[in-house]
Amino acid sequence: MPVLSAPTSLGTASVDGTPRPLSLLCELTYRCNLQCPYCYNPLTLRDYRDELSTQEWSGVLSDAAELGVVQAHFSGGEPTLRRDLATLVGDASRAGLYTNLITQGTFLDDDLLDRLLDNGLDHIQISIQAPQTELADRIAGTEVHEKKLDALRRVREREVALTLNCVLHRRNHDTIEDVIAFAEDLGIERLELANVQFYGWAYRNRTALMPTLEQVRRGEKVVAAARERLHGTMEIVYVLPDYFGEFPKPCMSGWGNEFMTVTPNGYVLPCPAASAIRDLDFENVRKRRLGEIWRSSDAFVRYRGTSWMPEPCRSCDRREVDWGGCRCQAFLLAGDAGLTDPACSLSPNHRIMAALREAAEDIEPAARRA
Amino acid sequence: MNEQSRPRFGKGVKLRHDGDGSVMLLVPEGALVLNPPAAVALTLVDGNRTLEEIVDTVVERFEVAPQRARDELNGLFERLAQRGFLRCLS
Repeated sequence: MPVLSAPTSLGTASVDGTPRPLSLLCELTYRCNLQCPYCYNPLTLRDYRDELSTQEWSGVLSDAAELGVVQAHFSGGEPTLRRDLATLVGDASRAGLYTNLITQGTFLDDDLLDRLLDNGLDHIQISIQAPQTELADRIAGTEVHEKKLDALRRVREREVALTLNCVLHRRNHDTIEDVIAFAEDLGIERLELANVQFYGWAYRNRTALMPTLEQVRRGEKVVAAARERLHGTMEIVYVLPDYFGEFPKPCMSGWGNEFMTVTPNGYVLPCPAASAIRDLDFENVRKRRLGEIWRSSDAFVRYRGTSWMPEPCRSCDRREVDWGGCRCQAFLLAGDAGLTDPACSLSPNHRIMAALREAAEDIEPAARRA
Repeated sequence: MNEQSRPRFGKGVKLRHDGDGSVMLLVPEGALVLNPPAAVALTLVDGNRTLEEIVDTVVERFEVAPQRARDELNGLFERLAQRGFLRCLS
C-alpha cells in the first residue's frame, strides 16, 4: 500500500513505563497486481514470500488484542489477494479490534465485500492513482481505474465508512481539483490527499516523484478552498510533504509508542518503512510472542521515548511533539537512524532536503516489480 | 452543531470501553483517548438526545465549573462534527 498515515491518537502510558500499543498494521502480503512507482514496500519483495499462515495471523491478532491494541489495519501489498482476509477480519473483530482495510480495490467484488462486512469490517480505504482513467492506469502500470470505480460504487451502496485516498506526486499533483471533483461525484465523505513519502520504491524514484514547490503551494490553496466549500459534507485530509516544511512529522506518534507493523513473513517493525534501517535487529512472531517483541526487542527499545535523542532534539521543546521525526528518513538521508530527521529545519543535515528538492527531474519513474 | 442538535455517530465511529475504565473514540484510521467528562458525554450520543441535554447531564454529574464545561464540550462536539465523526439531526 502506498501511504503511511500517522494515527491521530494520543498515547497512553502503562504502569511499568512501556507504552500501550494501540494500532497494529497487518501487512498480509507484498504481492500486488499494480506497479505504482511510489509504493513504500521494500525493494526486496522476494524476501517476503514465506507468508504467515491464517493460524499465525490469528495468533498475532489475539496477542495484539491482549496487549491493548484497539485497531487492526489490513494492508500490503494488496491484502485482498489473501483468500483468508475475511476470516482474519472476523478474528480481529471478535477480539474487539476496530478493523480497517487498506486496498486498491481491484478485487473488491460483491461477494468479498459482503463477507468482509458480515465479519465486522469497520472501515475501508480505497486508493486511486489519479481521477482520469488514462493517467491513473499509466501510474498503476496496468488497466485498473475502471475496476476501482466499480469497487467504490459497490462500497457506497453499503453502510460502511469509506475513505478515498490518492497519493500525490509530481505526475498527478496538478489534477488535485479533479480528484476532489471525482470524490464529490461519488459522494465520498472522507478524502485523503497524501503527498508521497519517500521510502521503498518511492525513495528509489524520488527525483521523478518529487513535486515542485509551486505544485505543493497550489495544492494547499486548492485544498483550503475545497475544505471551506465542502464543510460538513467531506473531510479532506491533506498530508503535507515534509520536504517542504519547517518541522518533521511526528512519525508513528513516537517510535515504539503506539504503533506496530507485522510484515508478510512475521517480522515486527516499529514503522512500516523500518526495514530500510539495516543495522536494527528485527524479531519475528514465529520465534517470539508479539508482547515480548513490543516490550524488549532492540528494534522497539532503541528509539523509544526521548533518552536516545541527540541535539538539537534533546533540549528542544518539541521533543515530545514530533519525537525527533522519522528514524527511517534520518537513516536514508543522513546515514544514521539515531540522528534528528533532516526534515527538521534545526537539523545540521537539513540542507539535504533542499538538495533533494533541487534534484527533482521531469522524468518517468520506474515501475515497482517483484 | 448547536444546542438543539441531536448528534449521532458518523459511519465507522465507535466508542470503546476498557476494563480499566478508559474510554476511547475509535474513528477511521485513528483513536482518541477521552477524559471522563468527554467519555460520559459521548456515551450519551444516540441521535435522540440534544447537545444541550447531553451537556446538562455531564455538568450535573461532575464537579466542574458549569460554563467552562459547557464551552469545552461544545468545542469538542464541534470539532468532532467538523471531521464527520458526529453527524447532527436538528
